[in-house]
Amino acid sequence: MQEWFLRIADQFNQSFIYKDRWKLYLDGLGITLEVSLFSALIGLVLGIFVALMRLSQKEDGRSTILSKIAGAYIDVIRGTPAVVQLLIMWFIIMNNSKNGILVASISFGINSGAYIAEIVRAGILAVDKGQTEAGRSLGLSNAQTMIYIIIPQAIKNVLPPICNEFVTLIKETAIIGYVSLDDLTRVANQITSASYNAFMPLIIAAVIYFVIIKILTLLIGKLERRLRKSDNR
Amino acid sequence: MITVKDLHKTFINPDGAKNQVLRGINYEINKGEKIVVIGPSGSGKSTFLRCLNLLERPTSGQIIFDGIDITNPKADINMVRQDMGMVFQHFNLFNNLTIMDNITLAPVKLKIMSKEEANEKALSLLERVNLKDKADAYPVSLSGGQKQRIAIVRSLAMNPKLMLFDEPTSALDPEMVGEVLEVMKELADNGMTMVVVTHEMGFAREVGTKVLFMDEGNIMEENTPYEFFNSPKSPRLKDFLSKVL
Repeated sequence: MQEWFLRIADQFNQSFIYKDRWKLYLDGLGITLEVSLFSALIGLVLGIFVALMRLSQKEDGRSTILSKIAGAYIDVIRGTPAVVQLLIMWFIIMNNSKNGILVASISFGINSGAYIAEIVRAGILAVDKGQTEAGRSLGLSNAQTMIYIIIPQAIKNVLPPICNEFVTLIKETAIIGYVSLDDLTRVANQITSASYNAFMPLIIAAVIYFVIIKILTLLIGKLERRLRKSDNR
Repeated sequence: MITVKDLHKTFINPDGAKNQVLRGINYEINKGEKIVVIGPSGSGKSTFLRCLNLLERPTSGQIIFDGIDITNPKADINMVRQDMGMVFQHFNLFNNLTIMDNITLAPVKLKIMSKEEANEKALSLLERVNLKDKADAYPVSLSGGQKQRIAIVRSLAMNPKLMLFDEPTSALDPEMVGEVLEVMKELADNGMTMVVVTHEMGFAREVGTKVLFMDEGNIMEENTPYEFFNSPKSPRLKDFLSKVL
């Protein structure tokens, strides 16, 4: 038993403390968070925009060209793997750029935008149609009704699935090693090679991912409770 | 005030089947009139009402409001709607806003009143329906009758020329119907032009200046309340009244 503890302690030393290796994890985490944050922002803006495009209708209820473009974008993105999209962005579309963070953020932003668009669309459709009718019957324009009445209610609907999407996004960035970025996962891999031990670096990376996501989940939970204020009797 | 000419509305179902709901309605509503529309379900009375402020777009026909053909695609429908209040069966108060904000949102955002003027107006209207103490509450905490009275107030805050009521008491508990009808009667007494789709025959008799009977997308019969209820002409109306009275 004692021997086992000593071995674990030694492994931990080798993969975390020796040669200040903890700094590598920290740098890796920095890259992971940077890419996640930028992609989330791009995804959110793009997603809302695409959802509104997708929902746009002519007066007689037929779908618009914008709506069809948005539908095609969602189809293509959801139908192809994120890694392939990332590699296409890196080697083909933005092959002149040496800035991996930029390429990865745009690629993941575009990927996440498709999923967020569907979440936002569902959230808007879940708001009772009577709310729109009441707004329009008072003389508010379609845009005003959206901004002051529908979107505030839709935000409450979409917060849980958006949180889920952000969590997925943080974990999916584990593939950005493909475009030579030293993110948390790649750092763990490098330390594995350097220390001839896979167990400890991977466990450390897993724990760091878990803690970050746990914190994010708690924060969003708090925000959600605050937004539910108007539901309280 | 509002003239309806040969109004048709056909819904096209997702499977392509056509459902002809309005089949050529002609009608004229004058200022100060209280038109009560009754009829069996599926007769098109709600669709007729919703066409008047273009919540439903007519398939063909004209609606002329204050000299403007609002069915013309170039007509500014948002401007027209500012003059037509609408009260819904399911209240449709804005769930994300307090009662005060529900009432002041449209007048303030449409730049008809300043925030202060709108608040003042809202408070005086709330006072009229005895709900001043609910100004800071959210809709979810109100009873159905309270919600409907607020919905009426919300429309009135825009100073409409005409009020449309789409079965305003049908979703209410029986004991709350009275308080809503009371507010509507007061409104009628103050000279508001009203079009009311309802199943409340007592209200039709007492408040209506004209009662319309709709069936199968047409106005089958139109008369003063007294004549309408005491000497109905068409067999269809006689049959209907025998079931509801």
